[in-house]
Amino acid sequence: MEVGIRGWGAYIPRFRLSAQEIAALWGYDSRLPKALGIVEKSVAEEDEDSVTMGWYAARVAMRRAGVGGDDIDAVFFGTESKPYAVKPSATIIADALGVKKRKLASDLEFACRAAGEGVRISVGLVKSGLARNALVIGSDTAQANPGDLLDFTASSGAVAFVIGSGSSSAAAIEASVTYVTDTPDFWRRDRSPYPEHAEIFTGEPAYFHHIVSAVRLLLEETGLKVGDFDYAIFHQPNGRFPLQVARSLGIPQEKVAPGLVTPYIGNTYNASALLGLAKVLEEARPGSRILVATFGSGAGSDAFSIVVRDSVLELVKKGPRVVDMVNFKVQVTYGEYSKFRGLLLRNVGG
Amino acid sequence: MKLSAPQFWRVRENQYKLVITICGDCGKKVVFKRPTCPYCGSGRVEYAESAGVGVVEEFTKVYFKRDSSEDRLPEVVGVVRLGEGVRVVGEIVSIRDSEVREGMEVEAVLRKYVSDDPYGIIYYGIKFKPV
Ligand SMILES: [Zn+2]
Repeated sequence: MEVGIRGWGAYIPRFRLSAQEIAALWGYDSRLPKALGIVEKSVAEEDEDSVTMGWYAARVAMRRAGVGGDDIDAVFFGTESKPYAVKPSATIIADALGVKKRKLASDLEFACRAAGEGVRISVGLVKSGLARNALVIGSDTAQANPGDLLDFTASSGAVAFVIGSGSSSAAAIEASVTYVTDTPDFWRRDRSPYPEHAEIFTGEPAYFHHIVSAVRLLLEETGLKVGDFDYAIFHQPNGRFPLQVARSLGIPQEKVAPGLVTPYIGNTYNASALLGLAKVLEEARPGSRILVATFGSGAGSDAFSIVVRDSVLELVKKGPRVVDMVNFKVQVTYGEYSKFRGLLLRNVGG
Repeated sequence: MKLSAPQFWRVRENQYKLVITICGDCGKKVVFKRPTCPYCGSGRVEYAESAGVGVVEEFTKVYFKRDSSEDRLPEVVGVVRLGEGVRVVGEIVSIRDSEVREGMEVEAVLRKYVSDDPYGIIYYGIKFKPV
């Protein structure tokens, strides 16, 4: 049985903070944004969080898939910025979307790759017949210690997919594999407002090792070669890492460029690579084969081989495109960014 | 300010969705799920979910409130005429104040209304953003 993406949706907040302004405010070299491959990052408003952004993306994904609340048997919410430490976000989104009560629903946490795992779990549920359709959402309002290097990239956004079976899918998920280890490259302890990271250690032993290992396993399992893929999409902690990992895998830059979103909106964490996938689905020709590799610190990577089907062309028109959301933007100052993201504390309710 | 979790829970369908009440007697439509028609008092009503798309008819800017969401002030509140013909009041988000105008096309989005800070329930509801 073929399992695939029946619908997808994205959400990118409209406001943008320029990397140059961050560099100037915190005394970084003005060449740093270019070195990080980041122009600006998306900023969610005060009344947005991973639930509200995820709701939007999921609503569009369900519309594209042509499914209603009664058709969804599972809801998975991948995030590292859930509004409640305890209390599921998946149920809030499901109720607000009118998803029926008889369903699986939970929040998944694995830094930036929880939603990637959600896709694999959903494929398993659909293949086994335990679910007809599963809704997977990746959404984050990523936190960064103000003035830290992460401040340049930590941004907000969401993406969602309806995973189901049948010939109507927009893209078939033909293979997937996951590679995980215990690697302390990036973490946030309970009650800590911002994550900590092990600087350069986040690169070679973490991001590069896990993505390259997952992709090699996928190639081994499928017998495919990197040349068989028309697009390659990797997790995008900055604008440079995905290009570097592509080079080490022997994949040309022009196959990576279409799925790059971080240079324009920052790193949306659980949405990052999958938002790149949503963008490529909106541009790719039917028959194209897409390599997707997520990455989550701690650390792990899911690699997918996805083949675009004919119906993708009709489904693109049924919702807002990623590229339109990237371009529909308004600049904010660091002051507004601080207000939007709750970095200023005002006494309220007095 | 502290809202009641059970109170919100009971009305959450009207918070999370734009439900329209359609009267089986006088035929009029009104926003929110209501047990009776506010125009003729009939209990013969049906419900439909709005597609969530509409046009701003009027708007104003709010500078003061005391509901635990003051950190968001100032904000724009508008009257939106939904595609189904009914009118609803809601906050207009994802805009610069100077961008809002009558006739602007908007769509319904889920946002945070208020929360019982710092550790209380977060109350979500419908607002409107430009299309
Ligand atoms: Zn009536």
